[in-house]
Amino acid sequence: MRYPKRIGRLSVPGRRVQLATAAMLLVATTVAACGDGKDEGAEASAPKAPATIPELTKDPLTLSFIWFDWPPAHALEDFANAEYKKERPNATIKVNTVPNANWHDAMFTQFAAHKTDFDIAILDSQHIGEAVTNGNILDITDFVKKNIDVAAYNPYLLAAYGQFPQAETGKRDENASLYGLPLLGDTWTMIYRKDLIGDKPPQTWDQMISAAEKCQADNPGVSGLAFHQANGSDAAAVTYNTVNGVYGGNLWDSKTRKIEGVINDAAGQEAMDVLVNKMKPLTAKGSGNWFIDEVNAAVAQGKACIAFNWIAASGGLLDPKQSTLGTTREQILDKLGFATLPSQKTNLVPLGGMGMHVSAYSSEANQAEALNFMEWFERADIQKKWAAAGGVPSRTDALQSPEFLNAGPFNQVYTDSVPRMRDMWNVPEYARLVNIENTNVNAALNGAKKPKEALDDIAKEQQSVLDSSGRRGGGGL
Amino acid sequence: MSDPVPLTTDHPGQVASATPPARGRSRRLSDRGLAVAFISPALLLLLAMSVFPLLWALYLSFTDYSATRGGPAHFIWFGNYTAILTSAQVHQRALTTLIYVIGAVGLQTVLGFAIAYLISRRTHGRGLLTTLFLVPMMLSPVVVGLFWRFMLDAQFGVVNSMLGSLGLGQVEWLTRQRTALVSLIVVDTWQWTPFIMLIALAGLTAVPKYLYEAASIDRASEWFRFRNITLPLVWPLLLIAVLFRAIEAFRLFDLVYILTSGGPGVSTETLSFHVYKVAFLGFNTGTASAYGILMVLVVIVLTQLYLRYLNKLKEG
Repeated sequence: MRYPKRIGRLSVPGRRVQLATAAMLLVATTVAACGDGKDEGAEASAPKAPATIPELTKDPLTLSFIWFDWPPAHALEDFANAEYKKERPNATIKVNTVPNANWHDAMFTQFAAHKTDFDIAILDSQHIGEAVTNGNILDITDFVKKNIDVAAYNPYLLAAYGQFPQAETGKRDENASLYGLPLLGDTWTMIYRKDLIGDKPPQTWDQMISAAEKCQADNPGVSGLAFHQANGSDAAAVTYNTVNGVYGGNLWDSKTRKIEGVINDAAGQEAMDVLVNKMKPLTAKGSGNWFIDEVNAAVAQGKACIAFNWIAASGGLLDPKQSTLGTTREQILDKLGFATLPSQKTNLVPLGGMGMHVSAYSSEANQAEALNFMEWFERADIQKKWAAAGGVPSRTDALQSPEFLNAGPFNQVYTDSVPRMRDMWNVPEYARLVNIENTNVNAALNGAKKPKEALDDIAKEQQSVLDSSGRRGGGGL
Repeated sequence: MSDPVPLTTDHPGQVASATPPARGRSRRLSDRGLAVAFISPALLLLLAMSVFPLLWALYLSFTDYSATRGGPAHFIWFGNYTAILTSAQVHQRALTTLIYVIGAVGLQTVLGFAIAYLISRRTHGRGLLTTLFLVPMMLSPVVVGLFWRFMLDAQFGVVNSMLGSLGLGQVEWLTRQRTALVSLIVVDTWQWTPFIMLIALAGLTAVPKYLYEAASIDRASEWFRFRNITLPLVWPLLLIAVLFRAIEAFRLFDLVYILTSGGPGVSTETLSFHVYKVAFLGFNTGTASAYGILMVLVVIVLTQLYLRYLNKLKEG
């Protein structure tokens, strides 16, 4: 009978062999993982797209986008599949969506892996710096020169969604490179209750606060104001930046990269004081974590006299199924008015919206299709059709067309707001800058910090982010 | 497949042939070789999915590497570790995490043990009660976070609605500094008390009945029996449950992400949530790796101290 061998500790030479094997395995795995030396030491810069669109494939192809989940994303997929397919029957458009809070991470983690499941990234204007510096999107300067009628746009819109380094507010640097083209324009609209504060919207910020105060006092259960205050995404930061602009403040000096002493100067302090001490008391209790959906819900439920929201997210307000303000669109419009933001010391409004940017890691066939799609999308007739389908175009002729102006009661607001727009910082450090501002403004709005303390902390922490590029260790803290 | 072995023989005069012996195993494959062959797939998976990433994170923690910026990783040795350990931001998150861990695990232990004790005294319906109490633990934390977010909404939430019907005012559960952290503790307690309850119930069921019988004969009071029989015997098992919960609570991320996003301001940002921001907002991979390694070290050291205490308890 065969007895099993006694299993015990291996002899010393045997253990050595096993240890050596394990060590070799580990080293081999490490070398294999480090072996993708393509990016090691390579200069980080955006690769160039060809000036002429390469020959397109005749095989079935899916052109994928990535965006966050909101109505314009679904509108884009429907519109593109209906219209683009007429020219390119073999192409299918797929707009992948993620929750707004994960939008940046979803795109940039794939960029980090140098492999994307999307061909066109729909980037916020402030994401461009990070994507360009890391070489994640194509430089389309030559492509734009050859295929796009740049004179058809307000120069700042073209610059905001494509240019890097960032343009001065209201301008475009024609010598700077372009990395994207506008997809969806957007800005804030003031939504006001005509039946509660009258047909004429307030013209100044002070008048707006007084009207909201009176409306709240006259209508128990209805709060004077509703606006974004959450500390996710860029919610609270955009709110402060808007008030800062209206009260004559600046976010930074882009030439000297100075924030300390700029955002927290007298105008900045006044803006923070107005936001926390005059506007916040007019909001609903517990609204300190409100963003787009919560503001829309408050308006639709008749719980706010005046609200501020992005135009592209306001379409649902006119849907009787989602509103208690009326059983038809007309009844709702009898009560709701849409106006450009009131002015005070300046008439600045926040620039929203996004551009289309071609992934540097997409296949050549898909990059060619992406360029063809962008050329098609920016044509005058297509921009008007996009407007009629519920999109916000960027070409001036489309913005002034009846197709756009008649498509929604807030579209005139957008057209009137275009010359008044101001953007945030478009630098690689954007994600950290906006997080600092969001958390501190949110803290001030919810009583966790005094307004002055919050603003001074924003200035100090943001300056430290801009100054820390050469720091060794602890980056990101 | 080999032919079936005949049970009878066609020739009665002949002795039925015995079943041929099984073919010996190949000499090349010894018992040890066979063991290695069976273990190696799992071992390779473990190496690739756990050991290598851990070692890789350890390597990155000594560098200034960024996953998105690309380029080579420069060695900065303990630069990341020094920055993390001296950062006021990290100290603040560590304090928040500590308050959270003590609050949540403490509450869960008291409630979990109390529920288990009450269930253990029932003779009927014990199984059904235990199953019902276990339901929250089976839900995804993201789902739990989402429905509690709706329930705790200051304007439309059912909790404030109930308070209102009792004549009490609205409470800003998720947007005030103190209530936000309390809300997190309450939600975590709602979900994870059943875990402590389950382990405590196992301990309570295992207490030998003859001890209680002996105490009854001696006319010992209920409190005496609890203090001198039940608690000492269940205590080591309960401490293990507390250890598991404390480790889980230490790395809390999902509930914070869904319920408060770390707010108001950063007042409910835990260490894990902060690591997430360091790793993905600026893609500071080196710093985030060092941060993660430090968190693992803290858990290992505290666990070792705790286990030593447990062993001493056993020996005692």
